[in-house]
Amino acid sequence: MEIVLAQIVNGFSLGSIYVLLVTGFNLMLLVARIIQFAYPQFVVLSMYASWAVLESTNNIFLAALAAIISSIILNLLSEPIFRRINNRENVDINASFVASMGLSMIIVEIMSHSINNGFPVSFPDYWGGKNLFSFGYINLGRGEFYALTGGIILVAIFFYLLYHTHYGRVFRAIAESRKTAKQVGLAVLKSSILSYLVAGILGGIIAILFSMLLGSASPWLGESVALKVLAVSITAGLGNLKGGLYVGLSLGILESLAVGFLAGSWANVIAFVLMLIVVLTKPEGLFGAAIE
Amino acid sequence: MSITFNYFIGFSFIYILMAWAIYLPYRVKDLHFLTVATMAVTAYFSGVAAVNWGWPFYLVLISGILLGALISYIISFVIGDVPTFTVVIVGITFIFITKTVIENTDYLGGTMGFFAIPAVDNILLIMTGITLVISYFLYMIDNSQLGRAASVIFADKKMAYSLGIKPKRIGRLFQTISGGIAGSAGVLYAYFTGSLFPDFFSFHLVGTLMTIVFIGGYSTMWGIIFSALILGGVPILLPSAVSSWKNLIYGVLLVSVILIKPDGLITKKFLWKIKNKIKGM
Amino acid sequence: MKSKEKLLEIDSLYLNYGSIKAVKGISLYLKKNEIVTLVGANGAGKSSLLKGIMNIEKTKGDILFKNNKINNLATEKIVNKGISIIPEGHLIFSSMTVWENLQLGVYQGNKDKDITLEEIYNYFPILEKRKEQKAGTLSGGEQQMLSIGRALLSGPELLLVDEPSLGLAPQIVQDIFTILKKLNKDGFTILLAEQNVKKSLEIADRAYVLKTGEIVREGKANDMLAESNFMDLYLN
Repeated sequence: MEIVLAQIVNGFSLGSIYVLLVTGFNLMLLVARIIQFAYPQFVVLSMYASWAVLESTNNIFLAALAAIISSIILNLLSEPIFRRINNRENVDINASFVASMGLSMIIVEIMSHSINNGFPVSFPDYWGGKNLFSFGYINLGRGEFYALTGGIILVAIFFYLLYHTHYGRVFRAIAESRKTAKQVGLAVLKSSILSYLVAGILGGIIAILFSMLLGSASPWLGESVALKVLAVSITAGLGNLKGGLYVGLSLGILESLAVGFLAGSWANVIAFVLMLIVVLTKPEGLFGAAIE
Repeated sequence: MSITFNYFIGFSFIYILMAWAIYLPYRVKDLHFLTVATMAVTAYFSGVAAVNWGWPFYLVLISGILLGALISYIISFVIGDVPTFTVVIVGITFIFITKTVIENTDYLGGTMGFFAIPAVDNILLIMTGITLVISYFLYMIDNSQLGRAASVIFADKKMAYSLGIKPKRIGRLFQTISGGIAGSAGVLYAYFTGSLFPDFFSFHLVGTLMTIVFIGGYSTMWGIIFSALILGGVPILLPSAVSSWKNLIYGVLLVSVILIKPDGLITKKFLWKIKNKIKGM
Repeated sequence: MKSKEKLLEIDSLYLNYGSIKAVKGISLYLKKNEIVTLVGANGAGKSSLLKGIMNIEKTKGDILFKNNKINNLATEKIVNKGISIIPEGHLIFSSMTVWENLQLGVYQGNKDKDITLEEIYNYFPILEKRKEQKAGTLSGGEQQMLSIGRALLSGPELLLVDEPSLGLAPQIVQDIFTILKKLNKDGFTILLAEQNVKKSLEIADRAYVLKTGEIVREGKANDMLAESNFMDLYLN
């Protein structure tokens, strides 16, 4: 029983990372109108960037900064690509999906070849290996704790900004109806670019939290996470922010439980099978898609 | 013929077939990634049937095609008329499931691989024959009322409904045929390479096939022949220092084609121009 | 009597939707504090013209606002210069509250505008009453008022009003037109596109009649109202 509890606690930390990733993904979907399959890859590449800085300077602060800056740069660099795709007439969102698949392939290949000779990178355990909290079998490592609290704080900040600032309102307006937003004179293009910036900042922080949680990164990390983020978004309902919250957390918990009771690779499968069952019974997603 | 050149020809055929398997359902906007899982299933089926049960090649081939079609047929009913991205998730899920099952099943060789599938005489000739047959079949579909209906569905699903076209039915039909094509590719792959590794049937293969289909041109079956040869086959001829970067090249090409020429290199318009030029000569 | 300069001047404007020519060489002008109405049947080009002014749709030709060229400026910059549009179909964001919808307007427009939320609540007390409600729950007339309120909050000098009566009950239509007249008295210049000819001519100073993208008649609204066969001549 304690083991189960331990897995669940673990699961919340992992789940909060998923929630953050899905939130960034949904943000792009709602405001920039793209399926950004490569968003988690940008996060993993940023983890690599922070690792590289850590290796050469041994300064955690600089490494964290590197993660955020590289994430911002990656996301902003991708903006003109997606904007050009979306500006064509007769475009449908598939085009951005295919393009982002291409971006994903490029990044994975770069990580597999050029960085650390393709081997996974590990982040030194700055917390001295001590657990923050021990209760029988339940160990809450510092990494997990920070990932969890960081996740909660970040989600809270994000939703606050979305509901209590002007740009948040503009984002929500564009998400509801891009056409109406254009007609009432909202700065749709500017907001679209801003959403990339926000996704970039978010992505950088996710990279930091993820490094703390996992302690390592690998080229295949991005791949499996990218597929999961897409699946979570579809299961919750494309673009549904609140839905993403619930499904992301649930996935984290389910995966942790599965890893505890099944052989490694089965945990991945379970997640997808469950999501498959959901989307087949309710194709528009558990909480309904927020876009057409 | 050198071994490498053999491999180039053989793999080109396999990539052509698999790319066609993706192409056909995409005529009605279904990204039918299930085909990769289907290929894995039929490839391993062929291995087991040939090595453990001693089945002759042609029996395995026919069974493989039927098995592939059956898998897609059943799944297509479960899928129904879900939106495009749900179809994507279905495909991805089955790729995961298949891969994980294979990796964890010793009978299938697990991660180490399944070996010693017997060679078949004139396998390249057989591949040529099968590819020609399937190409004829696809050509007939594309130039029939079915093909025209598919184009309408692709352009505007709602309009298709109002014209009395049944997108669900056509979608299921195309998915089933695509499953059969993937089935044939799986069988041929098994006999051609003689050994199977679960790593091959991964999301990477999906990426490769997507690149082939979108560069070649997703609206016709012809461009795919060239892009499969160049993108799928040529890496085999190149030294491994170069070919190990192929996924990067695929990614760059995929992004570029969507940006610059989203309909792909060979489009219906392009074919039309060529047809007219030939008529004019 | 000071001659009022032209607030808005349009010269040979063309607007195409692909191959469809919606506006074919229209020239018109508005003086400060006027109400000018565009009259014409469905598809005559009235809405397209308004959208063209705001650059919601691309145009060819010259659009001058206070003697500055504004054609092809980004829509939000045109709003900042002092023109707001109240789009066709009382467009609001249903998932956001009345207050949030209005706030969208607050952050638009010029920095030295002096219109406040209180003034909007004075024009439309019902909006204050419903300010925490989701805009989607409002009635058609209330949504139209919300749309007008949002447009006003960006502090425009010129209001473009696109088919305000569409889909609204007659009594509500009357209320909306009364509001438009009041706004004009309070200093707003209004360019109105409206299918309800009688109502729009009643509040307007001048009118232009549009037919398939071109102006076929212009003049004082009162004169047109007085013509008994006006409707038959120009609107069929």
